[in-house]
Amino acid sequence: MTTRREFLKTVLAAPALTSAHWSPFASSAFAAEKEPFSYGVVLPLTGAAAPFGTDQVKAHMWAVEEINTAGGANGRKLNPIVLDSQAKPDVGVAAVTRLASVDKVPMFVTAFSAVVAAVAPIANRNKILELSVGANSPRISKLGEYVYTTYPLADVDVTLLAKYAYEKLGARRGACIFVNDESGIYGAEVFRDAFKKLGGDIGAFESYEANATDYTGAVLKVRAANPQVVHLHGNASDTPIALGQMRQLGIAVPVTTNTAGYNPELIQKIGKAADGLIVATLAPGPKESAAVAKYVERWQREEKRIPNNMPNTQYVHDSAYLVKALVEEVDKAGKPFTGENMREALLKIRSFKLPLTETVTIEDDHTVKKPVYLIGVKDAKYTEMGLYE
Amino acid sequence: MYDLTLYTQILWTSLANSSYQVLFTIAFALGLKVLGVWNFAQPALMSLSFYCMYAAIDSFGVPPLVAMSVALIFTAAVAYAIEALAFSALRNRNSGPMGFFIFTIVASQFVIYVLTLIFTAEPRFLLGNMTSALHIVFGVYVTTWDITAMVTACILVAALYGFLHYTRPGQFMIAVADNAELAETYGISKNHYYALTMVIAAVLINTAIFLFGSKIAFYPELSLHMMLFAVAATIIGGIGNVFGAGVAAIIIVIMQQMSVLFIGSRWQPLFVFVILFATIVFFPKGVRFRTS
Repeated sequence: MTTRREFLKTVLAAPALTSAHWSPFASSAFAAEKEPFSYGVVLPLTGAAAPFGTDQVKAHMWAVEEINTAGGANGRKLNPIVLDSQAKPDVGVAAVTRLASVDKVPMFVTAFSAVVAAVAPIANRNKILELSVGANSPRISKLGEYVYTTYPLADVDVTLLAKYAYEKLGARRGACIFVNDESGIYGAEVFRDAFKKLGGDIGAFESYEANATDYTGAVLKVRAANPQVVHLHGNASDTPIALGQMRQLGIAVPVTTNTAGYNPELIQKIGKAADGLIVATLAPGPKESAAVAKYVERWQREEKRIPNNMPNTQYVHDSAYLVKALVEEVDKAGKPFTGENMREALLKIRSFKLPLTETVTIEDDHTVKKPVYLIGVKDAKYTEMGLYE
Repeated sequence: MYDLTLYTQILWTSLANSSYQVLFTIAFALGLKVLGVWNFAQPALMSLSFYCMYAAIDSFGVPPLVAMSVALIFTAAVAYAIEALAFSALRNRNSGPMGFFIFTIVASQFVIYVLTLIFTAEPRFLLGNMTSALHIVFGVYVTTWDITAMVTACILVAALYGFLHYTRPGQFMIAVADNAELAETYGISKNHYYALTMVIAAVLINTAIFLFGSKIAFYPELSLHMMLFAVAATIIGGIGNVFGAGVAAIIIVIMQQMSVLFIGSRWQPLFVFVILFATIVFFPKGVRFRTS
């Protein structure tokens, strides 16, 4: 089993071997007839979100390995340049600036709402295609003509969570607690608005700071509202902490959350206190897809665990296949690999059949629509609740 | 909307959460009283203590209390070294408060930077499970951690009070704090009591960080944020009044938690800054009540 530290060592030691970036192509033995296709992958490898970013990068590299082993994209090997964003806007901006000015890549994939938004002006100014593969702020669809998402935004899953809370749980009085950042604020607003539209009332709308670890104030305020359901919209690293503190302060009602709640660490850290959590995920689980079952098996075999925030890793994994499809399209048209041509290819193909997330269709309004799967926690175990529409 | 149970819950939770804050504050105030140093190296000690325990538990599978003891020895040794190697050298050079201030801040930043490189900025828990047993008392949720933290803090504060007021070393320490040069004419070694003060501060810090880390996640830079609280409480309690600073810490935590009844929780982090600002401007010598 590779520990996170060992994984980081590999990634961070790679620059010395591969001309300043992690490059599976450079270290592989095959000699491609065509020039490899280089693109950026900007994800958190260090910092609070590292447990999630490193798993996402691992998933992406597995996909690249599969593609390159099978002959690449139209004979062209994929060469991802992996850079650390720490899930922080300023670090993400530095990484993407480097991709634009030094590596001169035509496209990059990234995640985390704050980073996606911060780097968007660089993508638009330099005409580089930015693919968000794991961020859900509704603002992402309006970040400019070179910014697209393959990941459904909060108005897809969170709206359905509000509907589930109102219709299935019968809740009429709700509360929101969220991390005070791009993803948390917009996600909680979507829940609040959707829940109110259905006829419910939100008694508390409280946030906590992203760099804090004690959320007592916000939790007490939520408790004071005496809600029948709480929507928690945090990041993957703070969601277990917030849920644990809610339970310890006597909030025993069902808690809905986005995919950040699908996190093995959550169960490990709070055990049965996680019971009653309802997680909306936007990717099929092992029961729904044989490919996902195989993917989970590989994680179990090689890492002895399931990945942190598994649905997100599925999207990041599949982004390599999406890059492959774009490269093949541009190659087929005999055009050079520029951001403009990559964007044109994206809009021409529009609908992508991907191994772990199935069909992803890019809409005109820069969004994607996907079915929502619900996962509950019972007896400190995740239980698939199936598709919810 | 707000009932007595809620007020009681907030009060109880505030008292429980103030336990580690009181210990951090008293450690800081004690250093200021005896050494006359605004010891901004305290975040370094907090972080070192936490990661020493964390490494012992996570990497070597050491039981938590044993890890705490190992961290205590390590933190006390570092605190002693800071006094013996750095503070005494600065004192010998007649460095002013600015010299001490710069040294302590740089020491903290250095340690935090190194710890971030080693352990990353990922928030970490000391124990496998962050929840503790829950009891409902008259509608108030009381955890085993709450009781443990409050009892531990009370025992340590009482022990320190007893040490300072009823033992000869404690009285000598106060004598050094009041006038180090005069104390030396009576054969009391000021360097010895400066070192002892740092070691006692390390004991308080180590215990507080264990309590904190067994409930709340910690990352290296968090210690700097927590330091501000101790500074505010020390000023409000009155510089030189060690136990007054402890009481101020409790009052600030209660006020901060009670503030959620009137303001949104997003404004809560500002509360300590407002108190710090107001105290420095209006009560630079601390809040004192006149008695007739």
